[in-house]
Amino acid sequence: MGLPDASGDLSSEMEVDAFRRLFPLRYFERHLSESIRPDARPLGRARDTTLALGAVASAHGSALAKIGSTTMLAAIKMEVMTPSTESPDEGSIAIDFHMPPICSPIVRPGRPAEAAPVISKQLSDTISSSGMINLKELSLVSGKAAWMAYLDIYCLDADGALFDAALLSAVAAFSHLQIPIVSLNDDGKIELISEEDDGAKLEVEPVNKEKRKLTLSSIPFSLTCILHKNYILADPTAEEESIMETAVTVVLDSSSRLVSFYKPGGPVLAHTSAVQDCVALTRQRVKELQNILDETLSGMEID
Amino acid sequence: MAAQGGAAPSTYTPTPTKKTQRSPFFSDSDVDWLRPDGRGFHQCRPAFFRTGAVNSAAGSAYAEFGNTKVIVSVFGPRESKKAMVYSDVGRLNCNVSYTTFANPARGLGSDNKEFSSMLHKALEGAIMLETFPKTTVDVFALVLESGGSDLPVVISCASLALADAGIMMYDLVAGVSVSCLGRNLIIDPILEEESFQDGSMMITCMPSRYEVTQLTITGEWSTAKLNEAMQLCLDACSKLDKIMRACLEEAASASQD
Amino acid sequence: MESERDDGRSPSQLRPLSCARNVLHRSHGSASWSQGDTKVLAAVYGPKAGTKKNENPEKACIEVIWKPKTGQIGKQEKEFEMILKRTLQSICILTLNPNTTTSIIIQVVNDDGALLVCAINAACAALIDAGIPLKHLAVAICCCLAEGGYVILDPTKLEEQKMRGFAYLVFPNSIVSVLPKGSSHVEG
Repeated sequence: MGLPDASGDLSSEMEVDAFRRLFPLRYFERHLSESIRPDARPLGRARDTTLALGAVASAHGSALAKIGSTTMLAAIKMEVMTPSTESPDEGSIAIDFHMPPICSPIVRPGRPAEAAPVISKQLSDTISSSGMINLKELSLVSGKAAWMAYLDIYCLDADGALFDAALLSAVAAFSHLQIPIVSLNDDGKIELISEEDDGAKLEVEPVNKEKRKLTLSSIPFSLTCILHKNYILADPTAEEESIMETAVTVVLDSSSRLVSFYKPGGPVLAHTSAVQDCVALTRQRVKELQNILDETLSGMEID
Repeated sequence: MAAQGGAAPSTYTPTPTKKTQRSPFFSDSDVDWLRPDGRGFHQCRPAFFRTGAVNSAAGSAYAEFGNTKVIVSVFGPRESKKAMVYSDVGRLNCNVSYTTFANPARGLGSDNKEFSSMLHKALEGAIMLETFPKTTVDVFALVLESGGSDLPVVISCASLALADAGIMMYDLVAGVSVSCLGRNLIIDPILEEESFQDGSMMITCMPSRYEVTQLTITGEWSTAKLNEAMQLCLDACSKLDKIMRACLEEAASASQD
Repeated sequence: MESERDDGRSPSQLRPLSCARNVLHRSHGSASWSQGDTKVLAAVYGPKAGTKKNENPEKACIEVIWKPKTGQIGKQEKEFEMILKRTLQSICILTLNPNTTTSIIIQVVNDDGALLVCAINAACAALIDAGIPLKHLAVAICCCLAEGGYVILDPTKLEEQKMRGFAYLVFPNSIVSVLPKGSSHVEG
């Protein structure tokens, strides 16, 4: 903040856009003192959120999540693996988060974004510790074959709160997931049974007739907030994240239990009251997100 | 913990129990075979374009041709990253990559070097590079789903994204490919048809100027077939151009309202 | 069950701490920090002129390089790097030397639990050894929620595997306020 104090006087003569670029912090603080943000949101309000399921035809489950203009495309592909000897009745999940160069001006081809592996790790930690997925449901033949669910999330447009959007697209993709019907052949390999001759001639016994959908218990949802002085800004845009650096991400599950609380450093120290406020904001947001997910799912069933 | 430590177990995609008993794709004597999606030989897939798909980019476009879905973002003109010598004309930098779920079998989601350079060659003739000296325009494409004829779709989509970014061009660039299957020419082939083709041709052109920016021919062709295919492509390009222009007009009128 | 732990510690007892400064001669500042059998070496180079691309040149830039004990750097290490960088940014006075870069290299010597915490303490000690001006110190501690619902401090690797939740907490030594940091996974 080594900026001259003269900016206060300049601001009256300067165009808004120039002021925003030259003195971004002052620009934001002026808005914050009026309890409003530059995109006309109150401080605690998240951006409009939409979900679309089944966006990728070649995947077994997929979802497109949009929070404001942050866009995430998640797709799940199921492959077969031999389960480990320690857990013969469990399948596995591999989560990868990608930031291709199309998503943001700071990502260049050949140089992956620094944030991508960190978000990837956070997502797999969150999804595994929330207990949303029972890995036993991914088992096919005990000790011989189990599903490996490859979940790949692509960020198509990066405009802040990447983790929130990525987690939303991930849980939506899992709730859209339709596991293919397979059988075990003589060589001990798993083969697909095509949908058409389902029931017509069952010369081969499917091994997973019952288990086409995963039962998702306690779905995790998250909200990222920016702490700046005494203000708490929910669901920040990329511009807000670059100017005010202290972010807090709270993950709660659908019954409002804390899954994870994440504050990776940052210049603002979180007091207990700020932490409680963030959790309270997340609690509201979880309800919103749960509704959006439920509506999208029921919309799918009607079709 | 879902995250497996160390080496990931090897996995495979389950294959169908029996090979789908599709009658041989076509035979030379048979002229009346149908294309898998029921199109006529000289009929393109319905094309859908939309500009402004990515807000954080200077310009962007999304294109969907059947199952082929691509997004192209344009950044710049901005400072050249590779410290190059002073240049009077701007630089164009292109990159095409695939998602891991683009193809039916899960891939690695890698960059496609060949397509990147083809995209560069198809576009550089259409862009007025002298309007942004010393700087670089980046054109990045991501193929979300590959359904055949990926490159022509990427090129058409990229020219729309450039227009959306306000980069000066002589004309839009439309790309169309034709596959030669035995005695038949089929336009805008899907993935399955591409795997059976004897030869393929791709033309990218600037339809209003009637100039070709790129022409690639692979495989086995006769001269008569080549001429016929070229005419087919050029006709399809001018039709595609109308759709692309309509998309730009729509975006422009929407922003005026 | 106020159980004794495997190594005979009480739940709130830390392992023996030891710290040595100026252990490396080429670096501008260094420290080794160990908590029981977990040992981390931190070296500080800088401030050097210039910042990397995409960093704000009006402030000092902090760069953290994590060297695992063996093998390649993975997602876990990238996450540690990011957490460490953000934490150190919050304790350093960044406006004092604008347009400079300070590199902190963390070498893991042995991992026996509470690795991140040990690395934060080591990095802080190395920054002091290098004479980098700090607002205050950062003191890190790892608590775990065990199966029976009781809390233990400073777990070993063996204990970490049995735990249900973790909280990595970093406190500044001057002002009394809480800076919870890192992922705490609490269930129930």
